[in-house]
Formats: sequence, C-alpha cells, structure tokens
Amino acid sequence: MTLLFKRQNLITRSLFVEMLRLIIIILLLPITSFGQGYQVNLQGQVQQGMGGAGTALMQDASALFFNPAGAAFVHKSEITGSFTPTFAKGQFTEHLTNATAETTSPMGTPFSVYGLFQLKDSSKLKLGMAIYTPFGSTVEWQDAWVGRFALTRLALKSIFFQPTVSYRLSDKIAIGAGFVYSYGSVNLRKDIPLQGQNGIYATAELAGTGHSFGYNVGVYFEPAKYLNLGLTYRSQVNMAISNGTATFTVPASVEDKFPSGSFASSLPLPQVLTLGFGIKPSDNLAFALDVNYVGWNAYDTLAFDYDLNTESLEDTKSARKYENTLAFRVGAQYKLTPILAARLGMAYTLTPVQDGYVTPETPDANRINYTAGLTYDLNEHLNFDFSILYTQVKREDTNLETGLSGNFRTRVIAPGISVSYKL
Amino acid sequence: MKINILYLLLAGLTLAACEKDPVAVDYGEMDGTSYVAIGTNATAGYADDALHYDAQVNSYAKILNEQFSLNGRFGFGQPLVEEGTNGVNLNGDAQLILGYKTDCKDTVSLSPIRIADNGNTSAWSDVFNVIDNLGVPGLKILDLDNVGFGNSASGAGNYDPYFARMASDQATSSVLSDAIARDPSFFSVMLGDSDIMNFATTGGAFDPITPSAGVNGVGFEGTLDAALTALTTNGANGVIATIPDVLDYPYFNTIPYDGLPLDADKTETMNSVFNPIGLYFTEGDNPFTMECDCNLPYGVRKMEPGELVTLSIPLDSVKCNGMGSIQPIPDRYVLTLAEIAEIQAKINEYNTIIRAQALKHDLALADLNQLYKGLNTGVLYNGINLSAEFVTGGAYSLDGRNLNPIGQALIANTFIEAINEKFNANIPFADVTKYHGVLFP
Repeated sequence: MTLLFKRQNLITRSLFVEMLRLIIIILLLPITSFGQGYQVNLQGQVQQGMGGAGTALMQDASALFFNPAGAAFVHKSEITGSFTPTFAKGQFTEHLTNATAETTSPMGTPFSVYGLFQLKDSSKLKLGMAIYTPFGSTVEWQDAWVGRFALTRLALKSIFFQPTVSYRLSDKIAIGAGFVYSYGSVNLRKDIPLQGQNGIYATAELAGTGHSFGYNVGVYFEPAKYLNLGLTYRSQVNMAISNGTATFTVPASVEDKFPSGSFASSLPLPQVLTLGFGIKPSDNLAFALDVNYVGWNAYDTLAFDYDLNTESLEDTKSARKYENTLAFRVGAQYKLTPILAARLGMAYTLTPVQDGYVTPETPDANRINYTAGLTYDLNEHLNFDFSILYTQVKREDTNLETGLSGNFRTRVIAPGISVSYKL
Repeated sequence: MKINILYLLLAGLTLAACEKDPVAVDYGEMDGTSYVAIGTNATAGYADDALHYDAQVNSYAKILNEQFSLNGRFGFGQPLVEEGTNGVNLNGDAQLILGYKTDCKDTVSLSPIRIADNGNTSAWSDVFNVIDNLGVPGLKILDLDNVGFGNSASGAGNYDPYFARMASDQATSSVLSDAIARDPSFFSVMLGDSDIMNFATTGGAFDPITPSAGVNGVGFEGTLDAALTALTTNGANGVIATIPDVLDYPYFNTIPYDGLPLDADKTETMNSVFNPIGLYFTEGDNPFTMECDCNLPYGVRKMEPGELVTLSIPLDSVKCNGMGSIQPIPDRYVLTLAEIAEIQAKINEYNTIIRAQALKHDLALADLNQLYKGLNTGVLYNGINLSAEFVTGGAYSLDGRNLNPIGQALIANTFIEAINEKFNANIPFADVTKYHGVLFP
C-alpha cells in the first residue's frame, strides 16, 4: 500500500480514501442473484469500473471480448487474468403470508483470461485467445422456502474459449473476429409436491453438460483523435444438453412413476449487438458509452424432455417469454497520475423478464449498476486493475405458472481484480 | 464530488434495503385474542375417516388461532386424541393411511388401509375442561343446542361420544352453551354439511336431511339464527362459512357409473340374464346394475349417467362377486338422480340462509363452497396443484370427503380473506406449503 501512495498528491489521496471508505461501506452492507437474466457482465476490470462500457475504448487485452477489432489498436502483446468474486443476497417476501425467505447462494466466480499477441511491432495483425465466463451463477434458496416447488437451487456455469484475429485496415479502422467454443453445465434442484410418511417432500435434480459454438465480430473506427466508435456482434450460443441426468428422490411406492434417467434440454445464451462510443477530451480524461441490444427473446421456453415418461412424469415446457432488451452503460476515466487511473460508471439495464414470468432462478428487474475502478501501473510491464460493482434489484410479481406471488429483492456486490503483463 | 454523490446514493439505497416487512397482525375491527370455533368435521380435524391427532392439530380452526396469534400466543383448547395413537371413529376404527392392499384377485396396489385393526377407543374416556375448538364430527344443526348431547349416562347410542369428551358438563352442556361460556371475542361457524352428508354417504337410504325452513329446533334457518343471536349478544364478531357441495367430494366421484367392462362372453351372460326384463348390455364399458323399486319383481336397473357410486362400496364384491353386474349394487351405495337433486337443492337453500344470516348478524362470510368448487378444476398454490382427484389430487384425506392439513390450510386462508375484508383486518395468510398432503409409503 505504501508503494501505492508514494507518488500521489493530496487530491488523489483524499479521492482514494473516499473510495476506500465507499468500498468498506459497501462491504458492510447486508449482501444479497445476479446478471441481466442469467448474463454476467464482468469480463474486464477496466470496463467494469466504467459501468461495463468499453466497446470503443481500447485499453487492454480484454478488448478480445469487448471488441475483437479494437484489439488491433491495443499497442502491445499482453496477457491479462481477471477474477471477480460476486456476492449476491436475495430475499423473497410472499404476498399472502408476509413470510420471508433468503438465498444462501455461494460466491459467484466469474473469471477471464486474455492473451493478445502481435508477431512484429509493425504488424497490422494481432492474434488473441480469450477465455471467459459470460453466463452463469448459482442461486440457492433457504431450506423449506415457500417457492421450493419452483426451485431450490440452480447452478449454471459456462466457459467460452475464443480464438480471435484482429486486423488493422488503416490507422483509423480495424476489424476483428473470434470463434467461440462454449462449454456449460447446469444443475437444477427443486422439491416435488409429493410427501413420504415422514412428511418430507420428494426432490428432483436435473444435471447435465453441453457445448456449443458461436462467434464474436467487431469493427473499430477512430474518425478523430478524441472520438472512437465500436460496433460488435456476439452471436447466440445454444447450450444444448442432450444427455443430462434426472434424479428423483421420491417415496418408494411411487418410484416407478418417477424413473430416474436421462433428459434433454437447452438454454440459449442470447446474441448481443453493441454500439459503443469512446470520447477523449484530453489525454487524461476519457468517457465511454455503450448501448447493448440483447436478443433475450431466444429464451422463450425452458423445456425438459425426459427419456422415460410416465403419467406422473411428463415432459415439461415452462414459458419464460423473455423479451429483447437494451442496456445503457456509461463510464468516465481520469488519469490522476501517469501510473494511476480512477474510474466511475453506471449502467441501466432493462429486464428481459415480463410480468407474470419472474422466477426464483433469475428474479430480474430493471436495474442500475454502480461501478468504480482503479488501475495502478507498477511498471512498464505490469499493472493491476481493481473494480467494484454494486446493484440492487427489486421485483414484485405473481408467476403465472407456479402462482408464486411476492417481492424479490436482490443485492449484488462484485469486487474484481486483474493483473496484466505487457511486453 | 462524484464520489460523494455516489456515496449518498448508495447510502440511500442501503437504508431502503434494510427495511423488512414485519409479520404484523392487525385485527382491524375484530379481536382474535379469544377465539371459539363451532362446526363439524373440518372444524374438529376429522380426516382419514377418524379423529386423530395429526388432523386435529392441523384443523383450519387451529390454523386460524395460530394466524390470529402471530404476535403473541393465545391458548386454544382442543380435545386432542393422544399423539401417536391410531385415532378413532364411531365404529371404533383406526385412521386410514396409504398402504399396500391385496385385493380378491391377488393384485397388490397402493390403497387406503387402516393404520391398525382397532382405533384408539380409550380416547372416548378422555376428559377435557376448557375447550375452544367445539368442532364435533357429524354435528347436525338441531344438536347444536341439545343439552346433554354428550351425556354418556344416557347410554350407548343416545349421546354423542365426540362431544362427551369435551363437554364442560356432560349432563348440562350443549355445544352452543359451552361455546358461549368461553365468552369469545371472535367465533367461527361452519355448520350444515353434516346435515346433508349422512344422507349422502348412505346413498340417501337413511337419515333424512334437516329441513331448511323452520323455527329454532325445527329448521336450519331458525336454529342457526338463534345460535348466532346468542353468540353475538356480548358483542363478539364472527365469521360463517357456506357449505361445500358435498357431491364434489372424491367420495362420490371416484367410481364411475359405467365402470362395468364386459367382454364378449360376459356380455352374452349378462344379456341372457337381463334381456328378459328389458336390460341390454354391449361389449365395452357398461353402466353398473343397481337395486331399484322398478322392474318388479326383480328390482334391478342399469345406472343412469349422472348417478353416483359412493366410495364405501365393497370393491372386492364388485371385482370378484359380480356386484354391479349379476348382483345389483345395493341402493345405499348409489345416489340416484332424484337424491342428487334433493341434496343440491338443500345445499343451495342452506347457503342462501347462511348468506342472509351473515348479513343479519354482521358476520364475515367465508365462501367455502367456492373453494371446494375450485378444487374440482384444480387449485394452484406456489407450484402445488391441488384437485379433487382421490388420493393423487392431494387436498382430500384418504376417506375422500374430509380434507388433509394442506386442504385445511386453504380453508383457513378462505376464512382469513373474508375476515380481513369484512373487518378491515390484516391477518397474514397461512403458508399452505407448510401443511402436508397425502403421505406416500
């Protein structure tokens, strides 16, 4: 820490102290599921510090995710590792009973690793590899909660591998494209309203893995020194689970009605079209604005197709009816000293979940994310980025399928750190 | 500066986030601190064809008491059968549970069976002094103010054993007088279903339905009016429930009138027997044969569409001894169209009276008739689907006519809805998922 303070003036020191206070206050908050839908927008600390914007503001190797074209404008070969522990605490207050239930979700662990390589200093071509976790979280509700027949626990994980090519057409314009291989797993548990002699409810656990392919393409344009534009498109990826395992724990007398066996399902990870603006009024000051258009309407139905059907165990189709949405992300960055940059940002994301379709998996709502971040350059090669995100989500709904009716509240705090090494 | 704004914003959000909705009970214009329940099977916690502990502690009356006392416990005396025992009914039977039963064809299937050969008859000699739940299984309205209704000194058959356990003084108590003696601030009344059920469960063969009209001691209307007048004299508020259409119970809807499948051989046999009296059978599902005062001297006819077979019919006789085919079903297991019409007319008359009495005595009205109707089409509660299907529907107990704890919780919530509306109260609803349904082995 002393090292961190060494070369700062009084103003930056007080700013840093303020931020530290802020971070401490946030950490003391009672923490409470996360992401727009089940999307996790925590792929780069720099961008996270600026509300998640960065499609047109290229600063490091995380450009591989945010805009594959922009990677050509990142000046060096670089490798970045980033980790954002995510703490979410959800609470549900049922309308009828006023009874409350809380989530006992474990920490989310989004991470990313970006490697960006330039073969020669003069080369217009860059190659990159991005590994990141754009979707996924674990939501776990407390024992015997009132929505137990809708969900008790959902763990959704995905990891994307994206080899990327980025090419600078001129000093002002670049294009880039990445091929995406994704691997994901899902584990869903809920109670079945069927009781044994001891009164304990039967349970269902559906677990499986899937993999899929997609792509990520972008254009990056610098019409003027103070203005950058970026346009990217990340394709939809359908995580198809063809051979999942359904395990039913039911009273012995009805075991034949709930045969454990395989199931098939799929979960779409939606396409995202992003238009970004980067504005640099001075060398020290930069602003970023991103608008995301997210193709959530792909998530129309959550279907489970069981290999073994009985009169009690039929294939299910649950309506989700997500809608396409927008997200607006803005951020500012100020270089306090040549080696220290501070960031602030906000994002306003519209929920894809319509009234009547809110589920305890993703009790989503329109939300504002508040973010802040810091970059500290230890030396010419090594730098550290820190960011923090806080958001609170409130949603009141009566689910049409389950009848679950009440108020969901979720609070999320996600402090992140990354380390970059530049050649 | 930006930091400060953000800081304030976050601080504001934090405060907003910390407020938690308290589970508060607001009585509004009623007072639930001293509550007395008057009623029949559901009130008493009679289920699985017996009075047993588990059903008693989950009666809607007990649930109401619990919801009334979320902010502080108020006692609620109940004549509980000893916990862990087999329960008991008037025949001395134990309660039903779901178990494996071998039928006359040696087929083993999941079926309601008695938990033991004998019920807990020692419960008949229990003595309780302070009772707030005056639910008496099978209580008919004309016995509501019947002094000595529980007087065992009158000899077997001349008194009600359920009330005998709980009467404050067997010789001098009536159900109503014991209720009034508790000086309740609030009461609930659910009466009328037993007046009809005894007629219905015996296929209309015994026990005529209490007349709707008539003065106190003669008709449903006058007797109810007198009781409500007595209960409200001290200023107590109350709630009264409409009665369910008892014909909605699985007890009447599980065995179809045309449950007689015939192959070619059997069809020929049936036709050779019955063609001489004008009854014809075809291959496939046929209506059962039943006893009647028709086609004399044979006294047999085919069941008509819409007629109902009761769950009390001996199924082994149907499967193996030709009941419903060569042997006509005895009338006591069948509700004929005329009997059904009579039952439905009475239910409508009773409910019209109940609604009028609720207005007259300024009571909340819990429309249980609607709740039970809802079960016919299915009720969804937080992912649980409940219906009037026997066993699998979940809401009814194993006797097919009394509800499970989960169904009782639905009743309690129907009462609470009515109370909240009528008395500007805010009594939280019971969490239905906490009450059990049919338990599977």
